[in-house]
Amino acid sequence: MHITRRDFFKETAGATSMLAFGSSVPAFLARSAAAMEAGQASREPVLVVIQLSGGNDGLNTVVPYQDDAYHRSRPTLRIGAEQVLKLDSSLGLHPAMPAFRKLYQEGRLSIIQGVGYPRSSRDHDAAMEDWHTGVLREGVPPGARSGWLGRAIDAACDPGKTDLRGVFVGEIKAPFSVHTERVVVPSIKSLEEWLPTGAAWSDSTRAHDSGPSSATSSGSPSLLAGVRSATANARLIQPRLIAASQAIHSQNAAAYPRFPLTENLATVAQLIRADLGIRIYFVELGGGGIGGFDTHANQAANHGALLRELAESTAAFVDDLNHDRLLDSVLVMTFSEFGRTLTESGRRGTNHGAAAPMFMIGGRVKSGLWGAHPSLTDLEEDAPKFHTDFRRVYATVLERWLNLKSEKVLAPGFAPLDGVLV
Amino acid sequence: MKPDPNDPAWAWAPFQPDAARPWDLRLAAHLYRRAAFGGTWPELQRALSEGPQATIDRLVHPTPGAADFNRLYDDYENAAATSAGYGSQAWWLRRMIESPQPLQEQVTLFWHNHFGISNIHVKDNASLCRHIHVLRQHGMGSVEALLDAVLAQPAVWICLGARDNGRRSLSESSVRILMEQYTLGPGHSSDSDVREGARALTGWIISQGELRFVPGEYDAAPKKILGQEGDFDRKALVRILTTHPATGHWLAQKLVRWFISDTAKPSDSLLAPLAKQLTGDGSTAKGVEMLLRSNLFFSAEAYRQKVRSPVELALGIIRPLEGRTGTVRLAADLARLGQELYEPPTIQGWAGGLAWINSLTTLGRAKLAEALLAESGAYEGKLDPAAVAKRHGRATNDGGRQFLVDLYLQGDLGAETIGALAAGPSATGSVDTRAADPRQIAARLASLPEFQLA
Amino acid sequence: MAQWIPADTPIMVEVSEPMALLGPLLSPEFGKSVTTELENGKANLKLQEFQGVVAAVELQLGTDWRAGLRRLAGKGLSFCVDPSGATLLAVDGEDEKLLSKLNGIIWQFASSGADQQNQPETVASPNYRGVKTWKIGTNEVHALLGPRLVVGNRTSFLNKVLDLRADAGGKTLASSALFKAAREAVGKEAVASVFLNLQTLRETPGLKKALEEDGNPVTALLLSDTKAALRSASWFALGLYVSGDKLILRTYTDGAAPEVSKWTSFSTLPGAGAELLPPLTVPGTIASLSLYRDLHSFYAAKDALFPERTSGLIFFENMMGIFFSGIDLTEGVLSEVRPDIRVVVAKQQYDPAVGTPATQVPAFAAVLRLKEPEHFGEIVEEAWQKAIGLANFTRGQQALPGLIIDKENQDGVKYTISYYRPPADKSSGAIDARYNFRPSLARPGDYVILSSTDALARDLINAVKQAPSTPAKTSPAVNSLMEIEGPALSAILQANREPMVRKNMVDKGDSREKAESDIQMLLVALGHLDHATLTLRRDAGRPQAQLEIRFK
Repeated sequence: MHITRRDFFKETAGATSMLAFGSSVPAFLARSAAAMEAGQASREPVLVVIQLSGGNDGLNTVVPYQDDAYHRSRPTLRIGAEQVLKLDSSLGLHPAMPAFRKLYQEGRLSIIQGVGYPRSSRDHDAAMEDWHTGVLREGVPPGARSGWLGRAIDAACDPGKTDLRGVFVGEIKAPFSVHTERVVVPSIKSLEEWLPTGAAWSDSTRAHDSGPSSATSSGSPSLLAGVRSATANARLIQPRLIAASQAIHSQNAAAYPRFPLTENLATVAQLIRADLGIRIYFVELGGGGIGGFDTHANQAANHGALLRELAESTAAFVDDLNHDRLLDSVLVMTFSEFGRTLTESGRRGTNHGAAAPMFMIGGRVKSGLWGAHPSLTDLEEDAPKFHTDFRRVYATVLERWLNLKSEKVLAPGFAPLDGVLV
Repeated sequence: MKPDPNDPAWAWAPFQPDAARPWDLRLAAHLYRRAAFGGTWPELQRALSEGPQATIDRLVHPTPGAADFNRLYDDYENAAATSAGYGSQAWWLRRMIESPQPLQEQVTLFWHNHFGISNIHVKDNASLCRHIHVLRQHGMGSVEALLDAVLAQPAVWICLGARDNGRRSLSESSVRILMEQYTLGPGHSSDSDVREGARALTGWIISQGELRFVPGEYDAAPKKILGQEGDFDRKALVRILTTHPATGHWLAQKLVRWFISDTAKPSDSLLAPLAKQLTGDGSTAKGVEMLLRSNLFFSAEAYRQKVRSPVELALGIIRPLEGRTGTVRLAADLARLGQELYEPPTIQGWAGGLAWINSLTTLGRAKLAEALLAESGAYEGKLDPAAVAKRHGRATNDGGRQFLVDLYLQGDLGAETIGALAAGPSATGSVDTRAADPRQIAARLASLPEFQLA
Repeated sequence: MAQWIPADTPIMVEVSEPMALLGPLLSPEFGKSVTTELENGKANLKLQEFQGVVAAVELQLGTDWRAGLRRLAGKGLSFCVDPSGATLLAVDGEDEKLLSKLNGIIWQFASSGADQQNQPETVASPNYRGVKTWKIGTNEVHALLGPRLVVGNRTSFLNKVLDLRADAGGKTLASSALFKAAREAVGKEAVASVFLNLQTLRETPGLKKALEEDGNPVTALLLSDTKAALRSASWFALGLYVSGDKLILRTYTDGAAPEVSKWTSFSTLPGAGAELLPPLTVPGTIASLSLYRDLHSFYAAKDALFPERTSGLIFFENMMGIFFSGIDLTEGVLSEVRPDIRVVVAKQQYDPAVGTPATQVPAFAAVLRLKEPEHFGEIVEEAWQKAIGLANFTRGQQALPGLIIDKENQDGVKYTISYYRPPADKSSGAIDARYNFRPSLARPGDYVILSSTDALARDLINAVKQAPSTPAKTSPAVNSLMEIEGPALSAILQANREPMVRKNMVDKGDSREKAESDIQMLLVALGHLDHATLTLRRDAGRPQAQLEIRFK
């Protein structure tokens, strides 16, 4: 059962009465309400980043099933032409990912191959910090570091205003990617823990409907106005969030298996639908820390299970958004802190590597394989070499999707990629 | 003297109440909010009868029980810091509530924000715990002694990059932080000063979580820093930095931002007298005292001109109700609202002001108020507004509403809002039989936009 | 009482012989000893409150409180909760007149209190179905039906009960099939029983979540089919029996785990006559566990048992892969371990040369048996040393001290120990919590002892040598057995009293006095435990737990 945006707006105050609040309503809300009434869905683009923790084995995710080197080096883990889900004559997806192949065939999935960075680290903490900060570690004391998405969120928030531009949805401590210098990025384990339930909240804010600002001796006009504006927003979004929370609970589990990632993405979908102004969402698969993708031993079953969780959860998310024609304003990007070695570890697993593919999913990706598959004969320490610096992928997403200047977020010199987005 | 907030003579002169600006409940509560996280009813009443300067005497001067209290809590915090979880932060929150000298906790929090040392990078609760203890120990004293003690701490060196640095010295960016964030402020140190400063700090390494001096790594040749020349080591560098006039100025600016207003942009001439109190023979205590006693502090420039940080929000609800809640859960709830003690986001501390506020955190703050005041649940109903109203003879048929408005907001509400609160039953038409419930009223008041300002 | 309770009441507690339960607690000697303990332990607040109430009641009723209790409640107690959360308590006394007198006193207090507060309307005495009921405030209503006092917190519920009492043929709990089945299972010898209607209760969010398949392999291993059975059960009952100086609690349910084999195959003893090994005891034992768990068939079924691949499970398999150098965990490692698994938790003696940690963690060890010790024993040794090495490496990365490995000898059994270097600064009182651990591995015969301290490993080497592999004396089909020694448990908690008090203070915001008072009450209560035994078994496919408690 899908709740449409129209239903949400019907349940809340309704567009016209929102405008009666005058200056305390942020412009974008009023705009999108007006657009709703006009029957369009004009939406700011939204980025959803899925972190795969532990180092995803790219070679068994996007499989070079015709390559002899691949088959020779992976006696127990190799995936042959009969099991692979073919994308083209040389590459295919892991058999646990039919949901992704379907997205690929529908033109909604693009794969950027060979992504990494120079002198990349093969240590979990260091590599993850590189991906989180955009390798802004060298010469930056730890106390001065922030996450690349944190910087993007800070840049997207006007000082003096109280916009909400980024959230983390998940159980673990928010990864450093969204670590900001200035604004607060809420960490959402469940919507309930953010929602006051008592009459106290609704009564106190209702008290404000009845008139303009009170006596000016009670404080700074700009601070009070800022707080009031946020309170007005909060009052508007609360019913939507309550409805979202209920919808998540009632969504039928029989439709597809409910993995934890499915739940988190369902929450993200509801938040997108509720149109809170959030531009950046961050979720995680693998449990953070050393992470589930770190398959040194017995990789086959475990990696397959995780890829299935990734593919099916993301596909369900895409379906959800597509239902309400929101998909065109959403871009999903996956990343992991490194790929893995070509050769098996002897424990039916693989070790830490370097380059790996990144998935881009959404209504406006240029479906296909971007960039060549790295050579399996010209390796560096048993792992494929990168050809595309991940910061160029970041720059693409910042400039071509979020319309943010990448120099506010990344070091200079990373040009966006052409041909990834439509 | 004509009241002029830009005139240093007027601004720093001790506040004398008059007809234009009487000493009333509003100003008394303002003082207690800024100096003590919030005042109880007896404290406010006593303040009203004693007058501002006498009340400030009591807030500023160390109370007899404070030393023993702090020793006991140091012990609690140290023991809790050895295990994972919010133990020692929870004890600090409890200390903020219970301390016989809450101004000292405000100042400790100020320094925690100023130095911005974060456990995200140190990854050792016990180390952060010791850092905070040092901030408390020296926080009211001489700035030179404080910086000296702070630079003796491994946690500080780790955040400045000592662990990452292969060479036995801090990088130039780290020294720049020391000069531009911690002492002089931006624009007073040249690249050469930074380089020479880095040389003065050579020889110190982090080994097994401790800071050790390796004489062989120390660069003993003379250095030229900020116009002075000599064989400067760490201690000498601290002295040069803290005695530089720019430091007094920079710290004065920070103190004004903390104690006066989030939006203040004080001129250099306005800051000069305060800067003087902080440097030389001065101390933070002298500076803070001058701030609290001043006309500026009690003027409209300061009144309700700060957005409450999550800690100030929670304590502003708890302290006036003369209660005490479990603080482990509170530490987690405050972290969720953006203020995790021991983890300021960067060296620049928490940005503060409207950065605390967005639509979700507004909901979260209302939820915290609701949870703190609920009869049961995570905070076990330990705060009891009804009992407090009764104790002070203010329990009436209105469910203590007027008392709570006085205690929490001192009437800083529009007439419409007070009217709407008095109306009681919710507009949906259902009769809310608990409309006159003091807990509900207190939660409502704490969720108002006006309450978010301190 | 059940014949007056509505059939849809999901929770019903009945105490048919209160005196059998309370008897020993009511003796004057017991009372004196408890009072002294509470006073010594500073539980003064609660004690004073209690003593005050007791004195007041004694005065009013004109009777000693012990005798009074007998006369008021000696014949039985019932307590139930209806689907909306309304509660009801029925007290059956011997002395109708005394009950009536008590009622009168309560009523007097209530009405005069209401008058004082100027709210006379909060007390009322309406009639219902010809029965006089009394209402005090919004949350209390009661009625006196002969020698039975019925007290509830909601009038609607009490009225339903009075309806069922007045009219014949209503749908009562006593006539409900589930309740009857539960009662029959519990039997007449029970002095108290609890009935839970799981069809109704399963929908409550807390219980629903607790019974969910949470993918946690440890709970799945320990509890085996219990949760799965409760998910399909219609009712659950608890019976309390008194046997000599022992109190016995036994659970009953009609639920059985669906898809029986995946949940029960790894905890079913093979064939008739097969029984558990007895739990091991060493000096200072706090708890000792004996389990029958076939780890091989458990882990072989992991895809069916845990369809969700948690990151914890993946991490575990990674680590096992590293430790066992790639041998397949299910077919190569777990298949080498016999299903007899025993665990011991015992109090530690700390080396005075090293010091005592502030928080004292008891020593714990697992005792397994290998099928082929000559071949697999050294593989286990290697895995153990790899694990210690990895722990050291990880700690080293965080500048934390690591463990030093050494070998020692006990009666011809060479075993591996590891320990932290003693603290440099010996004068600083309580030492770091890591000194609670000296991980050790011993392999006497076909046993493998994985212990958190070397002392416990030594004690267990002796214990397995002495104890023959004769089965424990338990009822058939018991697959899990746990023994708890009361005095040892009390001792370890007493040793950790200060950390517990502090945790209470900061978790709940209590003052030191209150925290000490609360902890002391807990310690005094636990202090009366002599021995407890917990067993799990399956009865016709249905899980059953039994807890036997002996008091001092």
